Amino acid sequence: MHITRTGTVTALGAVTALVLVGCSGGNSANNSSGDSTSLTVNTSFTIETADPGNSYDPTGNTVAKALYETLVDFEGSDVSTPVPGLASWTQNDDATEFTFTIADGRTFSDGSPVEASDVVFSLERIQAMTEAKPAFLLEGLSFAEVDDSTVTVSSETPKLALPALLASPALGILNADVVAEHGGSTDGEDTAQEWLDANSAGSGPYTLDSIDLTSQITLAENPEYTGEHAPGYSRIVLRNVSESATQLINLKGGDADVALDLNGDQASGLGDGFTVDSVPSGQTIFLLVNQDDEVGGVAASPEFASAVRTAIDGDGLLELAGTGSVQATGVIPPGYSGALSDPVGQDLDATAAALTEAGYDGETIRLSFPNDYPVGGVEFTPLAERIQDQLKSAGINVELAPAPFASELDAYVNGTEQMGLWFWAPDYADSTNFLPFAPGLKVGLRAGWTAEDNPAIADVAAEAYAASSTEDRDAALSDFAAQMQESGPFIPLIVPASNIATADSVTGAAYNSVWTIDLAELAPAE
Amino acid sequence: MTSSILTPARARRRRIGAQWRAPLGIVGAVVALAWILVACTAPLWVPYDPVAQGLPRLQPPGPEAILGTDSVGRDVFSRLMAGAGVTIPLALLLVGCSVVLGTLVGAIAGYAGRWVDETLMRITDLVMAFPTVILAMVIAASLGPSLFNAVIAAIVVSWPQYARVSRSIVLSLRGQNYVIASRLLGYSPARSLWTDILPNVAGPILVLASLDIGTAILLLSGLSFLGLGAQPPTAEWGSMISGAMENFDAWWIGVFPGLAILTVVMAFNFIGDTLRDAFDPLARAQSIAANTGETA
Repeated sequence: MHITRTGTVTALGAVTALVLVGCSGGNSANNSSGDSTSLTVNTSFTIETADPGNSYDPTGNTVAKALYETLVDFEGSDVSTPVPGLASWTQNDDATEFTFTIADGRTFSDGSPVEASDVVFSLERIQAMTEAKPAFLLEGLSFAEVDDSTVTVSSETPKLALPALLASPALGILNADVVAEHGGSTDGEDTAQEWLDANSAGSGPYTLDSIDLTSQITLAENPEYTGEHAPGYSRIVLRNVSESATQLINLKGGDADVALDLNGDQASGLGDGFTVDSVPSGQTIFLLVNQDDEVGGVAASPEFASAVRTAIDGDGLLELAGTGSVQATGVIPPGYSGALSDPVGQDLDATAAALTEAGYDGETIRLSFPNDYPVGGVEFTPLAERIQDQLKSAGINVELAPAPFASELDAYVNGTEQMGLWFWAPDYADSTNFLPFAPGLKVGLRAGWTAEDNPAIADVAAEAYAASSTEDRDAALSDFAAQMQESGPFIPLIVPASNIATADSVTGAAYNSVWTIDLAELAPAE
Repeated sequence: MTSSILTPARARRRRIGAQWRAPLGIVGAVVALAWILVACTAPLWVPYDPVAQGLPRLQPPGPEAILGTDSVGRDVFSRLMAGAGVTIPLALLLVGCSVVLGTLVGAIAGYAGRWVDETLMRITDLVMAFPTVILAMVIAASLGPSLFNAVIAAIVVSWPQYARVSRSIVLSLRGQNYVIASRLLGYSPARSLWTDILPNVAGPILVLASLDIGTAILLLSGLSFLGLGAQPPTAEWGSMISGAMENFDAWWIGVFPGLAILTVVMAFNFIGDTLRDAFDPLARAQSIAANTGETA
């Protein structure tokens, strides 16, 4: 008995010691306060590879943005106006041919100059890799080298969105010679990803120092960088911290200088010594009401959708989303062309009328949503509970059906949810990214909404896709957004804020909806 | 069975334990009864509707909401009281079903012997071979998340311990003269099992069941915490704690349901301990054997 007890005590002691070592290791391993040229960023990793050509995830974009440069850039948070990046451009009247001229004196991290052949190689490499996630961006485009510093991009159809699209970090320009040496090719047989997961070959302000896709990515200053945003730190460490509460603790305790995933309540409670940049993200959280009779049942009508739309009290939902979030005014979020200026607003008389028209008589409607995937710090479970409460007081009975993101996604994508609470993020910074909400298109079909259900909106969407002048396109987009709010099956709710919290020792943090944060814009405060 | 040898140190510890167990049992009974009373009557006197969202959100404990409000503005106190009415009856139901199922399986296995015994006990071993919580999670997840399915899952994982205990007792009684005598008088095996043997199984099973109520509450709350049990907006302790994870700074959302679970589980365990002592020495040895066999 005594032996057993001694054994237990020893084991307990050992465990305690291990835990203590574990804790202190976690806290002290990365204490950056003593070294002013090192920066620690906490974020929840969504990254599969450091090869920009195979990556299309938020963290992947942040890393690619720091390592590689794109032909076109955005300034700070403003994604409505593309500005020259590696190159400046001109376009023809039909918006089918764009000529890019690479700026003088730009060099890769090995000192060699950025040339037109690098641009053509990088883009054609992605085009050839049909399995690569960003390949869809380049569909229908062709590239030609005119001289060492000039490239033309031609499109089969008018493509006003081309400059914005080319700003995607996934389309970063690689050093063709170096990448080709390590298996890179434009014939679809590319094997360079493995090498690019350990090394970088770009002209960006930082180079890849070390990478572990599940825990930590370290970037080092690129001494050969000749561009505008000179690196502010000699080292940047990105750490994978999945819980926002842990990010908050790390930031407050000085173990992190920047936290990217705090929710509104956490960000607003930070207090002195920290700066928070809260900007509405490009994401929209919305409700969908399935229009397919077999799935939607009594809810499958535009009238029921509009009853839900007028029953929602936007302020009551916004309260849950925290600082910086705004109400969605339509399927196109504020800041993008075509966005409407005002939300629909609560009107319970209209709800009652629409419900009578829809033939609804107190049936229970099932609302499905992912319960483990906060978007911009907004948890879906409290949001759904609040929606249920609001709809109940408007006479609509809703039953909640939460499920993990991974298991519910199929039901959403296949359009088998009676009612769903989901979100949409643009693939790149252009309003045409919201046209898939149209009947018969990707998101429309997820609500069982076919082109025959509403030919008028389908036509407006097609018009916006095909427009060759900015005026025509903007007009079509506004029309689209307005008609969607009138008779669509979607109820856009919230555009959550993206909160970037930094210690006061760091300046220059700005949220960008394409790459979350441009690490090159960060610098130590004077 | 070295564990049943009464060394002096062991006897001393038991004596000290015995002094304290009775008062602890009374405390446990009072607390458990209080919670059961709350479970039955909470809807009549809680200050707010447990699912109504009328209050300002994330209010710390204060005069308006004595235990504060949660992230959508519901009264934590009302939800806590209403939660007793969800968890405690279901835990009792769960233990009841496990007792009936497990005792029946064990008694049949022990009485019939031979291949019936082998088959039933191997099934029992099979279930016990899996980690309890993990198996319950798998079952609950495959049935679809709901409180009813969580109870089903919990029953599936918790009956085997009763089967083992009842089998071993039935096995030892089967050969007793009074049982053989009744068979010789011409009574059917079922009657012999029902009237001669099962009454003797009741005591140890009761002790085991009372100790198991705490575990059952933990299991149900755990499944709800993981999103496999109670669905929002139901006020359930486990799901209240899971909701608190999003708002770490608002400690009152998670701490009070946690305390509720703690007090209920401890109360039922005190009752179980005291009952075990009351059934000393035979039942005590039996339940020790059962507990060491369980190791869940």
